Amino acid sequence: MAKKIVLETKGLTKRFGSVTPLDSINMQVREGEWVAIMGPSGSGKTTMLNLLSCLDAPSAGEYILDGVATATLTEKQRVAVRREKIGLIFQQFHLVPYLTALENVMLAQYYHSMIDSKDAEQALAHVGLGHRTGHLPSQLSGGEQQRVCIARALINQPAIILADEPTGNLDEANEEVVLDLFKGLHREGRTIILVTHNPELAEFSDRVVRLQHGRVVHDESAH
Amino acid sequence: MAGDRRPDTTKTAMFLRILFKSLKVRKNRVFITFFSIMIGASIITALASVYFDISAKMSRELRAYGANFFVGPSSSGGERSVESATIAKAIGMVPPDKLAGATPYSYGVVRLDLGNAVLAGVDFMGLRRLSPYWQVEGKWITVDFDEESCMIGKTLAKKMELKVGDSVNVISNEIGFQKTLTVKGIAETGQAEDEQIFVNLPLAEKILGSGGRVNHAMLSIVTDGTDVDGLAARMQKELPGVDAKPIRKLSYSEGRILEKIKGLMAIIAVIILTVTTLCVMTTLITVVSERTREIGLMKAIGAEDREIVLQFLAETMIIGLAGVAAGLVAGFALAQLLGHAVFGSAITFRMIVLPMTLVPSILASLLAAALPVRMAVGIVPAKVLKED
Ligand SMILES: Nc1ncnc2c1ncn2[C@@H]1O[C@H](COP(=O)(O)OP(=O)(O)OP(=O)(O)O)[C@@H](O)[C@H]1O
Ligand SMILES: [Mg+2]
Repeated sequence: MAKKIVLETKGLTKRFGSVTPLDSINMQVREGEWVAIMGPSGSGKTTMLNLLSCLDAPSAGEYILDGVATATLTEKQRVAVRREKIGLIFQQFHLVPYLTALENVMLAQYYHSMIDSKDAEQALAHVGLGHRTGHLPSQLSGGEQQRVCIARALINQPAIILADEPTGNLDEANEEVVLDLFKGLHREGRTIILVTHNPELAEFSDRVVRLQHGRVVHDESAH
Repeated sequence: MAGDRRPDTTKTAMFLRILFKSLKVRKNRVFITFFSIMIGASIITALASVYFDISAKMSRELRAYGANFFVGPSSSGGERSVESATIAKAIGMVPPDKLAGATPYSYGVVRLDLGNAVLAGVDFMGLRRLSPYWQVEGKWITVDFDEESCMIGKTLAKKMELKVGDSVNVISNEIGFQKTLTVKGIAETGQAEDEQIFVNLPLAEKILGSGGRVNHAMLSIVTDGTDVDGLAARMQKELPGVDAKPIRKLSYSEGRILEKIKGLMAIIAVIILTVTTLCVMTTLITVVSERTREIGLMKAIGAEDREIVLQFLAETMIIGLAGVAAGLVAGFALAQLLGHAVFGSAITFRMIVLPMTLVPSILASLLAAALPVRMAVGIVPAKVLKED
């Protein structure tokens, strides 16, 4: 029962001058897969995620996301890919500070297509924040802020969810909550790529991709 | 979720929501920007108001150049006329070498062949000195015993179909006195006089039956070295029932000042606008750097450059328009101060000041926003989002 390939890279490479933080990555991710990217600090995890999320363009290689060859796209076209196909979750939460939780989710709807506040409220309820929709990020705990980010990443039904150390700034209790959310997303059949240092988080993924010096040194099912 | 959305908030509503919340959260910066634009706009408004109003008054009052002193019945007495003799006494109180010209005026409504008109009895010798700017077709009446001639304002002449040399019947509405007069001159004055008919005072007295009374007198007094206020006070004291006052008009030399400082005013306006632009630009650059992450985030989740530009320009425009509105009010108040201090005259608001202030202020705001907006557009989300 091989599922559709959502994401595929061929020789994906990123160079910054003489530095090559990412060197010829070949990888395929299938629909509904949960992939954990691990590796020591400086191994190229964030660089890779930036390429996969179309925040950055590769120096060489191919990257096909949900049927779209993205490697040679212009910045303007990459914005559209981010908007249409990707749900992004960052380590530092990154919410617009003067907008409420609900408005932060609506912001993604605003850039994407149309705004349905009921839908945004549901997304917040889905991450357990149905009662905090009117609060500003500064009035929310770190864990709650990250849950708002998750709701925002999900709101436009992205083909793939990309998260860079989503629990990196959270205490254990909140980490647990976020992990549970990811488990739930996985059960719903979402495709997830998650960068983490945390073996516990990786444990629940289908597959672990280990990077070292910008190369894949290990790629296999976690179980 | 995305598939079965029912839009309940329009994009415009959301845009405005983001706009106002963003402004609200940065009150201090918004205020600095607002204040800079307001100061710039108010200086331009003040200078433009003074310039255009004084220019307009100049062109109007230079034509009326001459009469600068009024003698008439005191308003408290309820009288609408004064004894001719009293007026003569008042005029007599002006030192002869300081009196450039003077005439009493006696007004009444008369019927001409083709309709009613205001008739003014005057002293033509005095009137001519008071009104050297009158454009007269035909001739001035030169002697005060001429009771066969009249002068007539251009507009009235046209209405009554009268030409120089024509005869016109003048009938008093009240006492039925009738007289046929020859039109000796037709005067173009650019003022109310264009609608009036003028005769010598003694004749007017007969036509109107005014019984030795006149309505008021206008005088032209050489103001250099004359205490006109003191003179007015003495007249009122010595001649009960008389109201005497200098009419403050712009002097020719004041008008010259205005022309001379016109260039200076333009330079000041440009300097102020430049300073405003720099100040607004500095503030906006600070705002962009404060919002680097927010902008990076917006781009990361799908905002196009266009949307970032729109957001910033709209914020700047809102502050700009508010600043201009406040600047117009403050500037107009400042114009009053300037008007009184320099020209001794209140300043009337002129419509031209509106675009004169609005256009350069808004252009300055846009110019100030150009660099910060470019900075905002240049933000690379991958770079700014990983910083802690
Ligand atoms: N813009 C850049 N210019 C130059 N070098 C860069 C740039 N971005 C990343 N690098 C280098 O690429 C390498 C990989 O960086 P990256 O951020 O991908 O590591 P990481 O695996 O995410 O590390 P960490 O676990 O600490 O987040 C590092 O050596 C880094 O210094
Ligand atoms: Mg990293």
